[in-house]
Amino acid sequence: MAARIFRVLSSRRLAAGCLVAALLMSGCVTVEDKRCAVEAINKEFRRDYEAILAKDGTRVFPVSRAEAYDAVRISMARLRMTVEAQDPVLGYVNVFAPAPLPLDEKEWKQAAEADLSRAREIIGPCVGLFAHFFNFEPQGLEITISGTVVELPSGTAISFTARMREIAPPRTGFPRREYLPPTAVRMALVKMWAEIDREFKATYRRP
Amino acid sequence: MSEQAYPDALQPQYRMHWYTIERVLGQGGFGITYLARDTNLDQLVAIKEYLPVEVASRRADATVRSRSEGQRERYRWGLDRFIQEARTLARFDHPNIVRVHSVFEHNGTAYMVMRFEEGDNLAALLERRSTLPERDLLRILLPILDGLELMHNAGFIHRDIKPDNIHIRADGSPVLLDFGSARHALGKAHTLTILVAPGYAPFEQYHSSSENQGPWSDIYGLGATCYRAIAGMPPMDAISRSKGILGSTREVLVPARNVGSGRYSAQLLAAIDHALEFVEKNRPQTVAEWRREILGETSAAGAAPAVADRSAAAASQQVTPPAPSPAAGQSAPSAVPPQPAIAAHQALPRADAPVARRGWSGARTPVAWSIAGAAAAAIAIAVFLWPPIDRDPEEKIRQIQKELERTKELLKERDTDAKTREKLLALLAEQEEAKRRQEDEARKRREEQEKQAQAKLRQEEEARKRREEQDKLAEAKRRQQEEARKRLEEKQRLAEARLRKEEEARKRLEEQQRLAEAARQAEEQRLALTQPPAGVRAPKRPPEAEKLAQGEAALARREYEKAYEILTPLAHGGNSRAQVRLAEMYAGGMGVSKNNNQAYIWYSLAAQGGSTTARTERDRIARLLQPAEVQQADTVVQNWRPR
Repeated sequence: MAARIFRVLSSRRLAAGCLVAALLMSGCVTVEDKRCAVEAINKEFRRDYEAILAKDGTRVFPVSRAEAYDAVRISMARLRMTVEAQDPVLGYVNVFAPAPLPLDEKEWKQAAEADLSRAREIIGPCVGLFAHFFNFEPQGLEITISGTVVELPSGTAISFTARMREIAPPRTGFPRREYLPPTAVRMALVKMWAEIDREFKATYRRP
Repeated sequence: MSEQAYPDALQPQYRMHWYTIERVLGQGGFGITYLARDTNLDQLVAIKEYLPVEVASRRADATVRSRSEGQRERYRWGLDRFIQEARTLARFDHPNIVRVHSVFEHNGTAYMVMRFEEGDNLAALLERRSTLPERDLLRILLPILDGLELMHNAGFIHRDIKPDNIHIRADGSPVLLDFGSARHALGKAHTLTILVAPGYAPFEQYHSSSENQGPWSDIYGLGATCYRAIAGMPPMDAISRSKGILGSTREVLVPARNVGSGRYSAQLLAAIDHALEFVEKNRPQTVAEWRREILGETSAAGAAPAVADRSAAAASQQVTPPAPSPAAGQSAPSAVPPQPAIAAHQALPRADAPVARRGWSGARTPVAWSIAGAAAAAIAIAVFLWPPIDRDPEEKIRQIQKELERTKELLKERDTDAKTREKLLALLAEQEEAKRRQEDEARKRREEQEKQAQAKLRQEEEARKRREEQDKLAEAKRRQQEEARKRLEEKQRLAEARLRKEEEARKRLEEQQRLAEAARQAEEQRLALTQPPAGVRAPKRPPEAEKLAQGEAALARREYEKAYEILTPLAHGGNSRAQVRLAEMYAGGMGVSKNNNQAYIWYSLAAQGGSTTARTERDRIARLLQPAEVQQADTVVQNWRPR
């Protein structure tokens, strides 16, 4: 009974604390603090992102350039991404979708939980205690993915890059949060490569 | 005290402020006295409630109201006096005067809060013991005189001194209670029976005016109280005494000297008789004077013999058979000569009677007293030795008739005086009434002015609040307008910036077109120089250049879709100019979705063809891309082959 009461009190205390903190945060974090936080998180996540892409951003398939290009387009469509720009001659396609696509909600939550503590550590020096109120919110964001197809002697290389884009235009001169949480990047690449593989297997029945 | 015994009284446990009623201590014509508890100090107090039953009554809600509209002003006036008296009394702190703590208005009346004195009432004590020995009497009387003197010196008169209003504490010290000027407050219209205590009130208190009242009135009350203590009964009341004095040849009050002879000192008895003088001017005029008489001090020597004379005369009347009436005295001759009776009669009724005044003024000379004493002794011897004279009965009747005539004249004269006094009193009462009305009107005017001032203040306050509210609303509106203005300015600024960019892009495009045109003209001139001789047909413009010109023209005309259709194949074929144009379209979002990646790729491809402009633009676009995107695009560029 006592434990239950304590839990109730704790949750109420926590809620009250969050409310107060949110009010303080909205009233006390300056524009410069926010700019600092965005730049810091972009910088740190960019490093992870580039490492991930270097490791798994490009794969070479023993298919023709045209086959690879088609596979990329179809795979992206399966992941509910919309084509925004494409040039088959160049071997370039650009797709987009509201976040958290190409991940689903559960995957996004999983990725956010994995990277949240690190993100708070990153922005801590900029916003202090208010870092504890930072969250990865998918609302108001779009994910854009650029895919390229390059013909190589050994086959065709497919590569992906991804970035976040704010639906509402950001304030002029204000830095944009464009790098996805690293875990989300990893999970998205896994999904995309899986789709590509699936497409190649389905179309050409290759192992 | 049961509810039936005091139907007008407040109920036990009734609460007023921090006082809780416990029981009724007594009720008089002017109010009710309660035993109550001060709950703040947790001590008993006596609370006197102003409730003159003649003009006011209690209602069911415990409030006290005048019995009629006509009595309302009288009631209110008396109430004001009651409060005023309480305030006056509260200034005095004497061990033998009841201590007044507070006064407050409640229930439409007023309440005087007094110290509750435990002990016994002198009336009750006398009821039990009938009389008091001189020592006990003086132990009560002298402290009361001290307190009374203090009050008199402050210009205050008790007007109701009697055994009921003297309280004996447990330690034997007396305290004078119930300073009841409320009876004075009720004015001349009040019924006499509740104005005075019969036997203890002097004759002048039976008049409505207080002009003849003074310390001597209280001295009469104290003398009567002393008389009660030595005689076992109160003295005859002043009205009866006046009838006796005016209607017969003798005073009916038995002097204290006779009543207490042998049991009390002569000086005390003489002082009591002096205090009980019927005419106020014949009494001691101050407490100090009377105290000296009581204590037998020399300064009182002048008063005592006069009283002694009168008392002796009265005593002789008491101890001797009454003077025979004319009818009765016919058969039996009087054993007492008529002279002493006549002399006593002449000394009593009027304050200004020559005999009485002479008695006061002449007594101060010892020689005169010696002569008077010798004369009295001679007269007494002569009377004693004088053979009885058998006077003619008719002569006696004539003499008696003469005396009666004289008495009637005196009575008439007194009536005249009384009427004059009443007229004067009526005049004074009218003046007081007029003054009171003026005061009431002034008070009402003041109250009305205060109400108006308060209403004005309220209005001003409300107006101020309204103004503040309006100011707040105006301020909020101004802030909203300011914010809207800022938003609008920001939008305008952004729009201007966009327009500037578009203008710059257009100018760059025009410059490029101009350069292209210049190049084309230079090419044409070069071709013209190498033109074949006349008759030879000039070669046609290359189709790629023609298409490029069309595409650029369409772009200049902002026909983006057409421009895209023309320029894309050229760009895919490796035409640098077409690649630059296509890059510009992607960078500017002209006809296509803005895409920096593609713009970067096309600028890069054009730069490979040697275009300086493309190189510059490529570097600019690269800053907008992620390094990974740049690397990805560079890979495309490096592996690209014109189609």
